[in-house]
Amino acid sequence: MMAGSESWRPPRECDVYWSEYKHCKRLWHRFHHYYTFGTSPLCQQWKDDYGACRDWEKTHSAHAKECLQESERKRVSEQRNVTPVWELREKPPADWHMPLNQDKSQDS
Amino acid sequence: MDQTKQQEEDYGYNLFPGRKKSKYKKGSIVESLFTFNHKCQAMLQFAVETSPYAKLLLGAMKNSGCTVYKDRHFSCEDCDGTVSGGFDATTSQIVLCQNNIHQQAHMNRVVTHELIHAFDHCRAHVDWFNNFKHLACSEIRAANLSGECSFTNELSRLNFGLNQQHQECVRRCALRSILAVRKISREKAEKVLDEVFDSCFHDHTPFGRIPHSKKDARFAYRDFESRDRYYANL
Repeated sequence: MMAGSESWRPPRECDVYWSEYKHCKRLWHRFHHYYTFGTSPLCQQWKDDYGACRDWEKTHSAHAKECLQESERKRVSEQRNVTPVWELREKPPADWHMPLNQDKSQDS
Repeated sequence: MDQTKQQEEDYGYNLFPGRKKSKYKKGSIVESLFTFNHKCQAMLQFAVETSPYAKLLLGAMKNSGCTVYKDRHFSCEDCDGTVSGGFDATTSQIVLCQNNIHQQAHMNRVVTHELIHAFDHCRAHVDWFNNFKHLACSEIRAANLSGECSFTNELSRLNFGLNQQHQECVRRCALRSILAVRKISREKAEKVLDEVFDSCFHDHTPFGRIPHSKKDARFAYRDFESRDRYYANL
């Protein structure tokens, strides 16, 4: 559900964007990204989002809001861009909370 | 599956003899004297309270309607061989091998690994016993997201590769897990892994990223805690 335009705020705190940017640029993270994907991470978007976030805080500009929303929607879309191997449930398993059987034989 | 095959396939339960019969009465003094049960319980408690990996998974499971209760959904037991743990879908329990987990960091990884299986069981119709693709997918995710394929862990295994070594580790760990619990040929297991690898390696739910380190996991947990604000303002 989308927040109304009057109550909208950036999806993340501005400091979160900055901390993600700094974390992304750190040598250890860059190394692990190469270790996993064989490429360097792309960190600039976090910095751009931080700038847009601060801009929105100061001016409440529609452009800053659109930039942030477009960037975050793209992140979500990339995360969801997988073809699931299994069918998702609509409800949790019925027996998740059922008590265990007490029929395991035990030494007294 | 015909009767002969059913008799041969034990789905890995032979590794967990405590699933059928406990040698000692649960909570007994004898159990505490002759097993590592108390140590396992203590390390488990510490893991669920302090590991950002575990806290995120527990939160995500609660969010999905599968609240995890330590006494109901975890069981510290003696296991065979060198296996560290398992997820028993028939009882919705995570088994922790108290005789094979002796360090907190190891406990943290095993808890995370098995919680990923439990999370997949909670959110999807995973056919653990009849669909190798489902089993392979969950094992890929567990190896990928639990931190067990980090650079330092691979170094400790004397694996010194750098370029995409994480992916090589995920394949290797997933293959080993499948072969440990199913009577399937290595060739068939590798073929199944290849079929699902791309999809499952890129499924980072509920982390939203591959948590290479505790800091990554803390950031992922921060995102999880703020998810209501995030999705409301997309």
